Amino acid sequence: MDLQATPKLAPGCRLHPSEPVLLVPEGTLNLAGPARDILAQINGQTTVATIIDQLLQQYSGAPREEMSTDVLNLLNRMEQRGVLRT
Amino acid sequence: MTTAAPIPSTYKPFSLIAEVTHRCPLHCLYCSNPVELQRADQELTTADWQRVFQQAAQLGILHVHLTGGEPLARKDLPELIRSARDAGLYVNMITSGVGLSEERLATLVDAGLEHLQLSFQDIDEASANQIAGTRAHALKLALVPVLKKFPLAFTVNLVVHRMNLDRLEAFIALAEDLNPDRLEIAHVQYYGWALKNRSLLMPTQKQVDRSIPIVEAAKERLKGKIHLEAVFPDYYATFPKACVGGWGRQMVLIDPLGQAMPCHAAAVIPGLHFDSVRDHDLDWIWKFSPAFQRFRGDAWMPETCLACPRKEKDFGGCRCQAFLLTGDAEAIDPVCTYSPYHGILQSLRTVQTETLPIWRS
Repeated sequence: MDLQATPKLAPGCRLHPSEPVLLVPEGTLNLAGPARDILAQINGQTTVATIIDQLLQQYSGAPREEMSTDVLNLLNRMEQRGVLRT
Repeated sequence: MTTAAPIPSTYKPFSLIAEVTHRCPLHCLYCSNPVELQRADQELTTADWQRVFQQAAQLGILHVHLTGGEPLARKDLPELIRSARDAGLYVNMITSGVGLSEERLATLVDAGLEHLQLSFQDIDEASANQIAGTRAHALKLALVPVLKKFPLAFTVNLVVHRMNLDRLEAFIALAEDLNPDRLEIAHVQYYGWALKNRSLLMPTQKQVDRSIPIVEAAKERLKGKIHLEAVFPDYYATFPKACVGGWGRQMVLIDPLGQAMPCHAAAVIPGLHFDSVRDHDLDWIWKFSPAFQRFRGDAWMPETCLACPRKEKDFGGCRCQAFLLTGDAEAIDPVCTYSPYHGILQSLRTVQTETLPIWRS
């Protein structure tokens, strides 16, 4: 996955309406820190770059490079786990 | 056989297994249902299940697994799904697919079904139908392209045992062709009907040894494409499984009559009384029902387990298995290498070829 990718959640995966948890088939993934905010913006249309821009506004002062690496790492891990599609 | 005082439970259940009926068009040799099946005219009503789903969500349960028998045998299945989803639960259905048309599936997805699990019995049609005790294999294969039309997570379960393990590579290739989101490769666990057919289903050492690298290679190959989970053959293990994530710790099962149980097989343990959701709410059952208290925590454990650091991992293994294999539900799970009965697994692994199959009926 790269900055221009437009990921979406895999079928049967959704955010819990209130808890920091991603509901997936046969389980849940706990979402630490800003992970919930990141996944909440994923819709199959928004690029990873746009999501990072929005996060930088939300968490002002965070270094862009570090944020980009963290977001891409998270999304790649989720893709490997099969709960995210590009 | 109840404990003297309730053990205050800080545990929160995650999942509800809803056995909505024991009726099923299949007669699988390895079915995990109890050998004494519950009758249709005694099943919980729609309103009972709707109440249970609301109570489950209030208790913090996240997933409901609609199973049976065959959930499709319930005419009110769309209402059940809708009420579970409305209560806030994630809705999974474990089905044979028999009797599931595109139209009916559309109704279920519209009602809120999110995940569907379809099991396959073999790659070879004649063998698959023999294991299922009915001609279901072709119907299941035909259903898959229909499933793909819907926004639904799809899991393929390959149930493996001596009768099909020699074809494991081809069996996995079939599953890959079906292109599910998840793939489960599960060795049969010996409870219910599977226990009756144990000597027929028990894999050989050679089959087990051969299967492990095949599954590992598939996991590696499918990474990022199909999420693969494998269930190890219990009788070949050195340490027990964390059965249902620990007794009364993560899971509640409700049978078609409304009896609340800590696991699929708990009814085999003598002296356990199961409270019904007809008489109590789920919160009370979770906290106070003697059946849930019985092996909760570690107070019941034999000294060997109490002193063992693995108790935090396997929670003392499986109580039903301990009872079924030793006659004592408080014994160390014989799968554990520290059990004085561990040796009996060796003899149970011996292949007996003259056994006749007993189909679930």
